[in-house]
Amino acid sequence: MATESVEKTSEDVPVAGKVSTRYDLEKETELRFEVEAGEAAEQLELELLTGMAEVFGSELNRNKKYTFGPGSKIAVFTWQGCSVNLYGKPEVAYVSKDTPMLLYLNTHAALEQMRKQAERDNERGPRVMVVGPTDVGKSTVCRLLLSYAVRVGRRPTLVELDVGQSGVSVPGTVSALCIERPADVEEGFSVQAPLVYHFGSTTPGTNIKLYNKLTSCLAEVFSQRCEVNRKASVGGCIINTCGWVKGSGYQALVHCASTFQVDVVLVLDHERLYNELKRDLPHFVRVVLLPKSGGVVERSKECRRDARDEKIREYFYGFRGVSFYPFSFEVRFSDVRIYKIGAPSIPDSCLPLGMSQDDTQLKLVPVTPGRDLTYHVLSVSSAEDGEEGARKGIVESPVCGFIVVTYVDTQAQVMKILSPAPRPLPRHTLLIMDIRFMDMK
Amino acid sequence: MADQNKPDTERKLFNEILSPSELFAARSRSHKIPIRGQKDFFPNDSDEQRQRLEQSLNEHWSLISEERVERLGNLVKAIWIPSDQIVELQSPAGKFWQTMGFSANGKQYVLPEEALYLMECGNLQVFYKDLPLSIQDGFERFLSSTTVSLQQYQVFGHLKRLGYVVHRFDPSCEPSSYARQLNLPQSRDRAGRQLKRKRSPSPTPTCSYTKLKEEPTSEKMEEDKCCLEGEEDKKLAASPETTDVQTATTSAADEGSGRTWWTTDVLGDSDKELHYSSTSRSSRWDFSSIPFPDLGSSERRPSCLAPPEPSLLPGDVTVGVCDVASWRKKINLRKVKMSAKEKSREKSNSRRRWSVNKDKEVRRCRNWAEYHELLARRQRRGKGRPAHLWNREVTPLHDPRQPIPTAELLDKISVIKSTHLLEGASRLKGSDEWRICFNVYQPDTVADFKKSNPGKPYSRMCVCSFDGPVPDLRVLKLLAFQSGDVPVVFAVVDHGDISFYTFKDFQLPTDVFP
Repeated sequence: MATESVEKTSEDVPVAGKVSTRYDLEKETELRFEVEAGEAAEQLELELLTGMAEVFGSELNRNKKYTFGPGSKIAVFTWQGCSVNLYGKPEVAYVSKDTPMLLYLNTHAALEQMRKQAERDNERGPRVMVVGPTDVGKSTVCRLLLSYAVRVGRRPTLVELDVGQSGVSVPGTVSALCIERPADVEEGFSVQAPLVYHFGSTTPGTNIKLYNKLTSCLAEVFSQRCEVNRKASVGGCIINTCGWVKGSGYQALVHCASTFQVDVVLVLDHERLYNELKRDLPHFVRVVLLPKSGGVVERSKECRRDARDEKIREYFYGFRGVSFYPFSFEVRFSDVRIYKIGAPSIPDSCLPLGMSQDDTQLKLVPVTPGRDLTYHVLSVSSAEDGEEGARKGIVESPVCGFIVVTYVDTQAQVMKILSPAPRPLPRHTLLIMDIRFMDMK
Repeated sequence: MADQNKPDTERKLFNEILSPSELFAARSRSHKIPIRGQKDFFPNDSDEQRQRLEQSLNEHWSLISEERVERLGNLVKAIWIPSDQIVELQSPAGKFWQTMGFSANGKQYVLPEEALYLMECGNLQVFYKDLPLSIQDGFERFLSSTTVSLQQYQVFGHLKRLGYVVHRFDPSCEPSSYARQLNLPQSRDRAGRQLKRKRSPSPTPTCSYTKLKEEPTSEKMEEDKCCLEGEEDKKLAASPETTDVQTATTSAADEGSGRTWWTTDVLGDSDKELHYSSTSRSSRWDFSSIPFPDLGSSERRPSCLAPPEPSLLPGDVTVGVCDVASWRKKINLRKVKMSAKEKSREKSNSRRRWSVNKDKEVRRCRNWAEYHELLARRQRRGKGRPAHLWNREVTPLHDPRQPIPTAELLDKISVIKSTHLLEGASRLKGSDEWRICFNVYQPDTVADFKKSNPGKPYSRMCVCSFDGPVPDLRVLKLLAFQSGDVPVVFAVVDHGDISFYTFKDFQLPTDVFP
């Protein structure tokens, strides 16, 4: 975090009315900058002038301007040394020598060694779980390791179990994504045909049973994919987890390690968690403690909520809200069936004999459409529109898309929805999320 | 018959007209066979019994030696054709034609057993070489191995006298099981035409016991094996473990060691472990040669990591050594915030729990699959079921802690499974010793009985002797299959007495309402 060696050669050439700042980075240092958050904040542009640099594992092209929107927190790292230009006024910008990138790179090298061995022995590649408390850079480390893996020609899979801040789909889901090219410097990984399951809430604690169940589902699908796709099998997977590392959250981590049969657990900056996992996971699982980067910023609740909103907006309107044009149409109540997963818990004394509380957590509860449905995000389940018999598979069925209810007319028994595709809905089984989205912009 | 008063018969033969007094005497004679009970024959070495039996025998003799007086007009004339083993009618047939005989090439024929029965009834007079045959002649000539045996005729006559319509059974006329399934309408060729050219094979006597004795047993074994195989298939589907045991036992049996039934299970278990270890080698990854920059376990590791091999790194990144030690100070800078409750829980947890890796068995696991198996095994064991029952090769049929419906449970604990008579019957080969002889139709259908379309028989007769072997399961299955949905009745002939037995499928009652 030491912010010395800022070699600011102030050339201050105004380009298109923006202030330009040039930074010359030494070998193995990084430039960290944040863009001011808020509506009125101006965007920042980054240009690589000489040398080579990367942003979270993705290499920068020389003389190309990368735009970063409000609220971005970016680190430009160079292995060899480089000089970059920043156009615009960052909230904060400094060069740090003190980065754990070398440790992360060594981690990647170790994983790559495992992949090589897997390729040679016709085995499956390493399955890595990244754990740690909130705000230690789990997602960034995942992105880094995935990008490095892709750059050496692997096809790893990203398993996103962070229901609060999903890097793949909208919040409230768990998902898996096959990574085929490095993350885009601005947009992140290109999301093509991800496998998404509905969870419905931003914290796994609301229904830990369902969370574990979905983890198992993902693990099973991933294993099936590994069986048919040799490349995916060798590439292994990198699992991003929630920042909840106590109590049930910890149990969920152990469960995840068990169902995915992970080989390596990367613990970020939490020694107690590291020791606990060493104790509770069998000896053949390598648990590795890694430091967090000094550049990681603690995000506030509001910041997280904004990020969630942004993610949903991105789902409907595309990156920066310019590339997609969603549809808005009305759906009759009678055409859809809306469910919520997990019945409210009942006191044990009220349960039938022999029933345990757990059974209710995976239950589908029909939701009567009403005015309170407004602004809720709904998942369109890919389960076939069957009768009662088909209801069983809904929980374990992946999601084919999301819609947002924008207006409910109880008189006419219709609701107006925001949908990425024109009518009709592909399926008529909808699962309600706790998450709301107001289409304000 | 009537041999002893030969001159008398001869006289009658030439002079067939009786005087009124003779006729009257003949008509008023009692035709009843003296009744005798079974107990009368039980030997008790007394003179009294011997006399009684002798008297009974004499009565019998005198009854059957008696002359039969019939109206000439009632007698149908027929001639015996020994080459075809058949009787051709010369004059128009009587009322019996409704249920007996057949016509072919414009002529009317009756089968030998029918002819004999009609002779006994006084409806038919059979000539051979222009001379009438006596009933005794009929017995001698008509009953042979190519037509019907005496026992079969006894059954035939018995049933006929009771009013049943009895026909020879022709297996080729029987619809196949497939045709039965389709419920095809029975198209029956005019029996006569078919019979003339290829007559239904006459039932053969069931007296070749010697051959019978070995064959069915061996075949029965085969069949048992079939059943076993079926069972095995079922088990195969049910659980792979049992099949493991099965194959192990069979291979052991090949080796010829006797009491391997129970020991192989243990062997198989150890085999399995061996198998595992061979596939997974020690551990998949040798983490001592895969350098992770682990800040936790640094005490055993060098504080500096050697630069990674360039081939492992993306692009043209080259790096030097990595100093791990300096990072160790910077780890875990953030305090873990815990409430008092969480703290106390944490404390009790840490006291109660120890590292899973202290366990020897866990240390022996080399991958997740083995670890999961171990956990599952422990969970099964840990539930406190009596170890002395479950640890050995022979285990209880059901684990009481796994609730299943009562009907399922009853099914599970029934060691001898109920079987259906027709199960596996279609695969059996036909037997020569046992065959169905007759189709029997109810007496009350006689009025509208049609020989061309007799319909479904009431039952089918298989004739066997009291001296012969009891039909075994294989025969039962075979005949039941051949007969289809018509019950097969075994007519057991004990000299003169005939008793009927039948085997019926039934289901053991289960008092469970699912």
